Amino acid sequence: MRRLFGGVTLVGLLTGLVMGFGIAPREATQGNVQRIMYLHVPSVWVAYLAFGVVLVASIAYLVRRAESADRLAHASAEVGVLFTGLTIATGSIWGKPTWGTWWTWDARLTSVSILFVMYLGYLLLRGMIDDRERGARFAAVLGIVAAFNIPLVHFSVYWWRTLHQPPSLMKPGPGTMPGIIVAALLANFAAFTLLYVYFVTRRARLLRLEAEAEA
Amino acid sequence: MIVVWKDLLVERRSKETLNALFFFGLLLLFIFQFALGPDRERLAGTLPGLLWLGFILSGLLGLGRTFVVERENDCWEGLLLAPGDKSAIYVGKLAGNLLLMLVIETILLVLFAFFFNLDIAGVLPGLAVVIALGTVALAAVGTLFAAMTAQVRARELLFPVLLLPVEAPVLLATVKATEAVLLGEPLGSVAHWLKLLAAADVVYVAVGVLTFDFVLEA
Amino acid sequence: MPDNWGFVLAAYGLAAVVLIAYWRFLSRREKELEDATAIRHDLRQGSSSHPRSEPASERPSL
Repeated sequence: MRRLFGGVTLVGLLTGLVMGFGIAPREATQGNVQRIMYLHVPSVWVAYLAFGVVLVASIAYLVRRAESADRLAHASAEVGVLFTGLTIATGSIWGKPTWGTWWTWDARLTSVSILFVMYLGYLLLRGMIDDRERGARFAAVLGIVAAFNIPLVHFSVYWWRTLHQPPSLMKPGPGTMPGIIVAALLANFAAFTLLYVYFVTRRARLLRLEAEAEA
Repeated sequence: MIVVWKDLLVERRSKETLNALFFFGLLLLFIFQFALGPDRERLAGTLPGLLWLGFILSGLLGLGRTFVVERENDCWEGLLLAPGDKSAIYVGKLAGNLLLMLVIETILLVLFAFFFNLDIAGVLPGLAVVIALGTVALAAVGTLFAAMTAQVRARELLFPVLLLPVEAPVLLATVKATEAVLLGEPLGSVAHWLKLLAAADVVYVAVGVLTFDFVLEA
Repeated sequence: MPDNWGFVLAAYGLAAVVLIAYWRFLSRREKELEDATAIRHDLRQGSSSHPRSEPASERPSL
């Protein structure tokens, strides 16, 4: 069953690759560097999905005290941090040829970096509490605080970058994009979402095995 | 309420936290001056940021110690086993922390005005609003996280690591708003920042009140 | 605008490395734990269903 899903995920990823490189055309203004977007944007989407799941699982854990909810939160946070890191890295690599600099404090990179550090702290907290039950409880509380903080981060950073400071940097993302590029983007969205589900289910299973091994 | 009184009494008797934070604030001022050099122009531009840097660094020290008394004197179980709504403890501690932070911030503000020759008399009401809104946000999350990290190893490291990323939007908002206020602009011009701070305050206090029971579970 | 294929390769390469590494971490840990669980099950069965264990048994007694 899992093998089948893994296979499907792989096919999805390959499809996304083919669409990103074979079918989608060379972008007019940025050249082929724009193809990095097929990595960068789906990564960010998965990250947000992951942290949303952390919120739901955290609340579920506090209400029901189901170990499975705790494991889901943990796994999703870990995969979320993974994809957030990937978002930052790909964003930076995209930025160098496009804007001439490895780093820029634009709205997306800044907010994603704050998210990265927040959830890295989540994983750190989990790692530092030995008592399993207490760790789960505290992580759940932190997961809730962090999730509610996401919109605050968004708005504050966006206003910080745009008010009194017209966006001089090209803002990557959808807008008036030709249909074929949107299609490639969506294909990669789907592929990455499949990958997220695959990773989280395996990671959560691993956590269950680890818990059983300690019992 | 009782918790607030207890903490206040403890503070007044020992006074160590207040004194230590006062000297810390003074030191920060010197370091800012040394780090930024004698260039008055550059200094003036960074003043709102420096002010809040001073607030937050003092806050990290002060807030991190919220539960140190309970922890050091082995009263932690007392907290856990206390009957009734644990959120009352949260509110009490929060009020105490608010008071502590506001006192420190006032002192820091006066020192800043003195050393950097700021004329804050005219902009005081606006400044007070910004500082009040920002401080609630800092204290609300700080109190919650202090409880969570109190029993963790390497708590002195984990507390700032957890608090600072969460407070990033608050820091952005307060610095921008303070900047405007110090330039003499009316509060209305930074209404969006103030609304963000108010929203943050509501969210943080609400989450704190609702989740504190889970943090102090026996 | 130059094509900067090097950067594209770097980005995709990095993503591939990271994702594959994570996948391998998951697979390896899973195998380790499954092996450990299997050994424990075997040991438990060995002592409960065969009260007189075979003398040729190389498994360590619990």
